[in-house]
This record gives sequence, C-alpha cells and structure tokens, in this order.
Amino acid sequence: MRDVYVAGIGITSFTRLEYPLSEIASFPAMLAMQDSGLTDIEQVYVANMGGPRVNHQTALASAVVDSLSLTPAGAAAIENGPASGSAAIKEGFLAVASGMHDIVLVTSAERMREVNNLEATDFIATLTHPLAEYIYGVTLPSHAAMFTRLYMEQYGVTERHLAMVAVKNQNNAMLNEFAHLHQPITLDGILDSPEAMTNNPYIAEPLRFFDACPVSDGGAAVILVSEEIAKSTGRPLIKLAGIGQATDTHAVHERENPTDLLAVRRAAELSFGMAGLTPADVDVAELHDAFTILEIAESEEVGFFPKGEGHIALEKGETALDGRIPINPSGGLKGKGHPVGATGVGQAHEIVHQLRGEAGERQIAGAKVGFTCNFGGFGNNVICLTFVRED
Amino acid sequence: MAREIYAYECTKCGTLHYPFRMRCKNCGELEPFQFKTVPLPKRGKLLTFTKVYNLPAEYEVATLGLGIVELENGVRVTGQLEVDDPKIGMDVVGVVDIVRQETYDSFWGFIFRAA
Repeated sequence: MRDVYVAGIGITSFTRLEYPLSEIASFPAMLAMQDSGLTDIEQVYVANMGGPRVNHQTALASAVVDSLSLTPAGAAAIENGPASGSAAIKEGFLAVASGMHDIVLVTSAERMREVNNLEATDFIATLTHPLAEYIYGVTLPSHAAMFTRLYMEQYGVTERHLAMVAVKNQNNAMLNEFAHLHQPITLDGILDSPEAMTNNPYIAEPLRFFDACPVSDGGAAVILVSEEIAKSTGRPLIKLAGIGQATDTHAVHERENPTDLLAVRRAAELSFGMAGLTPADVDVAELHDAFTILEIAESEEVGFFPKGEGHIALEKGETALDGRIPINPSGGLKGKGHPVGATGVGQAHEIVHQLRGEAGERQIAGAKVGFTCNFGGFGNNVICLTFVRED
Repeated sequence: MAREIYAYECTKCGTLHYPFRMRCKNCGELEPFQFKTVPLPKRGKLLTFTKVYNLPAEYEVATLGLGIVELENGVRVTGQLEVDDPKIGMDVVGVVDIVRQETYDSFWGFIFRAA
C-alpha cells in the first residue's frame, strides 16, 4: 500500500444552512481545492446520511461532481449512518493507497434542520433495529440514557461529570468560528442553580438537554493524495497513518456487557496498530460526543484512560485544552455540532487544522499526532483515524 | 389468542437469538432460515431503563418508559416500561400489546410492569 496524505481541507459553519444539500457539500470542497491548489480530482466521495429521506435527494455525488465542474471524474455517495464521513475517508484512502488514483476529494454534507427536531430525531432513530428497538419508540437519546444509567451504577459517573463535558466542549466551541453553539455555559447555570431544571430539563433520564449535541447542518471536505503530490503542494505533510473500523450487534441489548463499546475498542486498536503508535502518543483527539457520556466512555475504550476512569481524568482537567490529552478542542459534536453524515470529515478537518498549527486560540501547541473516533449507530459501526505530521 | 414475541432457536446448536438473524452467531450454519420460533418468557430482571421526554411525533403521551430486560431464559429484549420508580435489577413481567400506532399500522411488542 502507498502512503496517503491530506493535502487540503475545507469546512462550512455547522449551524442552520439555507442552501441546497449539494451546495453544502460543494462549498467546503471549493475551500479544500483552494487550500491545496489541487483541482485535477480523479475521484469524488460524498458522505451523507439523510439526503434521500430528509431532503428528497438521491445520488448526491453525481450532483456534487457536476456542481464542482469536475466531470468526468468518478463519484459515489457513501451512507454509513453517523460514521458516513469517516467511511468516505476510508474509501478515499483506499483509492489512493491502492495506486488507482493520486488525488481524491472526500466531501460531505447534511441538512437536517430542513425538518423539525422531532422528525430529525426520528430520522436518526431509523438506524436502530426496526423490529426490536424502533417500534418501541427507541431513539438515540434513549439508547444513550440507558447506557448512562449503567455507567453511573458501575463506575460512579454522576450528572456533574456529564455537565463538566458539556461545559468544557461548549466553551471550546466559543474559540471555533465554525461551531454551531456560541453559547458559554457554566455548571451553575445547567446543574447547581435553582433555575438549572428549567435551563436544562431531562430529555431522557438521566440525560438532560445540555448532554445532547445540537441538530446541525454542515459540510466538510478533505483532499487525499499520494506522497509525491503532497510534497508538490508545499503544505505541511499530514499523513493519514492509521484507519481502524469495527462493528458490533445491531440491537444494543444483544451485547454481552452493555457498558462495553467493543467496536470503539477494536477500531482504535486497528488504527493505532496500522500507524505503529499507541494511545500515549496522541497529542489531540476528536471523539464522537453526540452525548456527553460518549466522550467519557470513548476516552476509555480508545485507550487514553483505564475503563471506568474517564470521568476521573475529566475531573482532573486532563482532557481540557491545556490538559495531558485535550479532547474535542473544536467543541466536539456537543459544541461544534453534529451534521451526522459530515461529522467524521469535520473531525478530520479539526485534526489537520491542529497538526498544521493553524487552530488559533484553541491550538494545542506542537501537536504532531491526532486521532478521531467516529461512532456510527449506537456504537455498532465505528471508525478511528490516526493522523501524523511528518515534517 | 394471546400474542407472543418469539426468539429464534438454531436447529443445529440450539442457541437462542432475539431479534431474528440470518446466520447463527454461535455455530455459523450457512443454510438459511434454520431456526424454529420459540415464545419468549414474560418474566425477567430489569438491566437498565430511561424515561424519555422528546418522543417521536406519533406518541401522544408526555413521557415514555423504556428498558432492557433479561428474561428468565437469558435472552435480552428491549421494551416499554410502565413502572413508577424503576430500579436496576428489579423483577418485571411483560405483556404483549400495541407499542406504536401509525396511521395504517399497529406494532405489537413487550410492555413491562413490576412483577
């Protein structure tokens, strides 16, 4: 296999976007082409989850490749639930690593705010098991809530720990111009004050409003290239050094230990193994905090902390911007937003930004190794990426 | 006739599955549909639970209880929960009733109450 590098990146704001879905995918692609100076794209992948259902648009990649005037390049859409973004990056990686293509554009888009919040929640819930989960009214917040209940029982995680993740990530998002939520919050406001139950009501006990990510529109893009092309651009050399993907049972109740996220563990091991690195080598990470509990659980499963100790590391500030292993400097899904099909590419965008040293006020000084975890389904389809700055 | 929810027992190795899957997760038999249906028991222990406030549009109730239950034969299921003060590990008993009502369809499933 050939080595694969990220030569260009682009992103939209994650917010409500009143643009057609194809434009949300095309805009960050234009920025990525500007960024890299590369326009001879041979293959385009477009990650998206809800186009056919929410936006009444199929075959999105065909629309995007033409909108970008990149025809007759190859193009395909990738739908892999909330892990669509990283699945598209994996396809792009394989296209370059195999030697079939030298320059591949991976872009992504989601436009969920076209429908109301109930419909958006229902759209995401269609990824659950149709007969064993969905018919009961199970949604992703309910899965996360039942998981949180067990985590609290077994490991001593409290609502305070969850609120600490929310505060950390929304305050990180204040430093990110692309983030959806520019709303500073405090533990007092969402947990301790008499008004907290009004500000922050339960959505699925024990999870509250500020434990969940917002419903976002947005898109992000990366351009993946061979080593020779990467060196010709004069941009910092960011290698996509490791990719791990793993799956788990569709119905959550079938898992032997329901507090294990085995697909996260396996995907991270594969990603680090391929890169020849360990969790201790990581300088900055973007983890899939669709719910606050997931940042804590994933930080353990990927190997940053022992199982059951993620919330203790959080308490000590080890995951803060100035901590030992900063997690979600972008604000994460919680603060930056979660345009589902685009989220994995958005995570990669932040890591490349960080490794290039271009992340401004939220820059992790001297970051050389970055890591992402993109969590599809309720942990049944997970992709972890490891990025290394080489020069 | 009382309605049942069925587990799928592999005719080769006897492993029980719920929900249906095409291939036995224990013996990996490759002949399709080699399962016989077995009614699931109604009694079990509550493994975890939640009370949901933001429901899909067709639910005309303010909140909905959901839980994962380990049934007497060891098979786990997700179901609705009608218990005032649920506790992890409590004994529950299920009935099979309508759990989701759409315009032209009714869906039947487990509703668990305190045993």
